[in-house]
Amino acid sequence: MPDEDAAEVDRERPGDAADTDGRERTTDGAESGGRARAPDGAEERRSDGPDTDERARRVRTAQTRAESKLVGDSLAVGYPSTDEPVVECETVVLPEGEITALVGPNGSGKSTLLKAMANQLSPERGRIVLDGTAIQSMDAKELARRLGLLSQENSSPGSLTVEELIYHGRYPHRGFFDSLGEADHAAVDRAIDLAGVGDLRDKEMGNLSGGQKQLVWIAMVLAQETDLLLLDEPTTFLDLHHQLRVMEVVRTLNDEQGVTVGIVLHDIGQAARFADNLVAMKDGGLYDWGPPRDVVTGELLADVFRVDATVDRESPTGPHISPHRALDE
Amino acid sequence: MAGDTRRRGATPARDRRLGWLDGSLATLCLGSLVVAVVAGLVQVSFGAYTMTLVQAWGAVFNPNVLFDLNVWRAFLLGADLPEMNRRSLIVWNIRMPRVVVAVLAGMCLAVSGAIFQAVTRNELASPFILGVSSGAGFTVLLTLVVFSGLSSLLPLLAAVGGTVAFLLVYTIAWKGGTSPVRLVLAGVIVNMVFQSLQRALFFFADDLGTVQSALGWITGSLTGVGWVDVRIALPPTLVAVTLALAGARQLNVLLLGEGTASSLGMRVERVRFLLSGVAILAASAAISVAGIVGFFGLVVPHIVRLVVGSDYRRLLVGCVFAGPALMVLADVGARLALNPVQIPVGVVTGLVGGPYFLYLMRRQDRMGEI
Repeated sequence: MPDEDAAEVDRERPGDAADTDGRERTTDGAESGGRARAPDGAEERRSDGPDTDERARRVRTAQTRAESKLVGDSLAVGYPSTDEPVVECETVVLPEGEITALVGPNGSGKSTLLKAMANQLSPERGRIVLDGTAIQSMDAKELARRLGLLSQENSSPGSLTVEELIYHGRYPHRGFFDSLGEADHAAVDRAIDLAGVGDLRDKEMGNLSGGQKQLVWIAMVLAQETDLLLLDEPTTFLDLHHQLRVMEVVRTLNDEQGVTVGIVLHDIGQAARFADNLVAMKDGGLYDWGPPRDVVTGELLADVFRVDATVDRESPTGPHISPHRALDE
Repeated sequence: MAGDTRRRGATPARDRRLGWLDGSLATLCLGSLVVAVVAGLVQVSFGAYTMTLVQAWGAVFNPNVLFDLNVWRAFLLGADLPEMNRRSLIVWNIRMPRVVVAVLAGMCLAVSGAIFQAVTRNELASPFILGVSSGAGFTVLLTLVVFSGLSSLLPLLAAVGGTVAFLLVYTIAWKGGTSPVRLVLAGVIVNMVFQSLQRALFFFADDLGTVQSALGWITGSLTGVGWVDVRIALPPTLVAVTLALAGARQLNVLLLGEGTASSLGMRVERVRFLLSGVAILAASAAISVAGIVGFFGLVVPHIVRLVVGSDYRRLLVGCVFAGPALMVLADVGARLALNPVQIPVGVVTGLVGGPYFLYLMRRQDRMGEI
C-alpha cells in the first residue's frame, strides 16, 4: 500500500533514526539502492568494496531524513511520447530548509524528475508528497502558493516590462477578479530587492541580456512567496558573474528565509560548492545521495560523469574537482 | 534602511496600478473613435435616395429620433417604429444599421483574433484558423442550397457550424492535452475538408441567386443588413467583449508559455478552452450578421499590437476601438469604391489587409511568435 509507505516516511524523524535503526536499514537498503540504478548494468562495480554499501545506505537513509519538505516515493516518470519511464527511483527527498542539488550527465533524468516533483508531469507510478499531502490531489493554485518552479527555458513577449513580468508571480495569490493589493506590491518589491533587479524595473524584457533575464525570472518565482523552490538549470548559458549572482540569490533566500530549494545544476563543481545535499542521477535512477563531501568522489565522476578526475575533499569551499580526461565507454 | 528601500520601491508600483492606460492607448482609442464617426457619417450620406450631406447629417442628429425612447425600443427590441420624417427614416432605419453592424462585427472579429493569437501564441492565428470560418461557411451553403426552408435561421446555423468545426479541431488536436502547434495544424486540416465540401455544394446550387447569396456570405458582406441584425449580434458581442476584457490577465499569463502558466497555478487546458469559447462566440456573432470577413481578425490585433504593445489589457481595449473604426472604414470603401455597384466588405478587407500584412512582414525581422 503506497499510502502506508508514505505515512511511514512522514512519521520518521531524526530522533528515531538512531544508530541501530540505521544499521537495520542498511541491509534492505542495499537492495533498494541496487534497484534504483538497475539499468546501468554495472553489476561487478557494485560489489567491489565498502563504497557501494555506503552509498546504498545513504540513498536509503534519505527516507529517514526527517523534516522532509518534499518526498518522491516509488516514482516512475515518463512522457506521453515514450513507452518506458524516463526516471525510476525508490525515494527522493528534499530536506526542509536545505539546498538539494540534482546532478548528473545529460539525459540522466534530472529535469524530468524535477518536473514530476513540481507536478508538471504526472508520474506513471508512485506519488510525491509535500508537507504530508500528495501534490497530485492539491488544487493547482494552492500548490503554486507553496511550490515555485522555474523551468529551464522561459520566454515572454519582448515588450513586457520587468515589473509586469514579476507581477505575474502573484497569479496564484489572486482570484479571477481580484485586483492587486498591498500584499502583492510588497511581495513584488521584496522579490525585486532580493534578486537585485531594481535598476531593471522599467526595462523591457526584449532588451535584457540572458543573465539579466534569468534574474528577472527568478524574481518572478520569488514573488510567488513559496517556501519551496524548484529551479531547473538556472545557471546554464549564463556568464560567470550572473551564475554567481543567481546562486547568491538562492543562498540568501535559503539562509534568511529558510526556503527549501531543489535545483538542477549542470556543473557538479558548482553544485558541490553551493548545495547542502547532492542527488546524483544516472540513467534515470538515483545513484547517490548525501552531503557533497560524501558524494563527490573520483568514483562518482568516473561512474556517473565518465571523466577521470581527482577530488580534493579537504578544500575549504567544498570538494574541489580537477578533471583530467573523458573516459571511453 | 531596509524599510526606506522598500518604500522607495513601492511607490511607483502603487502609482502604476492603472499605468497600463497610457498615452499610446488613449491616442489609439480617440483616433479610432474619430475615424468611426467620420466614416459612419459618410456611409449614411450615400444611397439610392439622394440627399445632400447637410440633409443627411441633419437627419442623423435629428433630436426627435435621437432622444425618443420609442425609436430605440423599435431598433433594439423590435417594437413598432413610431412616425418620423422620410429622411430620418431612410438614414436611421435603412443606412444606420449597416454602420452599427459594422461596429459590432469589427469589434468581435478584432477581439476574437486577439484571443486566438494569445491562445495559440501565434501572431498569425485568426478567428478562422481554428476552423470557424470554414465550418460556418459550410453550414451556410448547406442551408442555402439543400435546406432552403431553414434560411431564416441562417445566422444561428452559421454560428453552430463554426462551433462544431472548432470542437472538431480541438478533438483532433487533443492528445492528453493540446499545444498551439497541434491546434493550428488541426485547424488547417479541418479547414481543408470543409472547404472541399463547400466547393462540392456549389455544384448542387440550382440558380444564380442562390450562388450569389452564398458567395456574399462566404466573402463577408454588410449589404442589406437591418436593425434585426443588430439585435442578433448585440447580446453575444456584449457578453464576449466583457468576458474577453475580464480574461485579459489570463491571456497575459498564457503568453508566458504553457509551462510557466501551469507552474503559476493556472489550469492551462481549461483556461485555453474557455477563452477559445469566448473567441468563438465573438467570431460567430460577427459571422452571423456579416458573413466571413477575411483577414480582419488577423490584421487588426496586429496593428493594435504595433501601437500599444502586447499587454492584453491594452491590446484588447485597443481592439474594441480600432476594430469598429476599421470595419466601418472598410465598409465605406465597399459601398463607394465602385459606386453605384457595391462590393462585399470582405473583398475590401482582403485587398487592403493582404498587402498591408505583407508590408508588415517585410518590415519586421521576426514574425510568428508573439
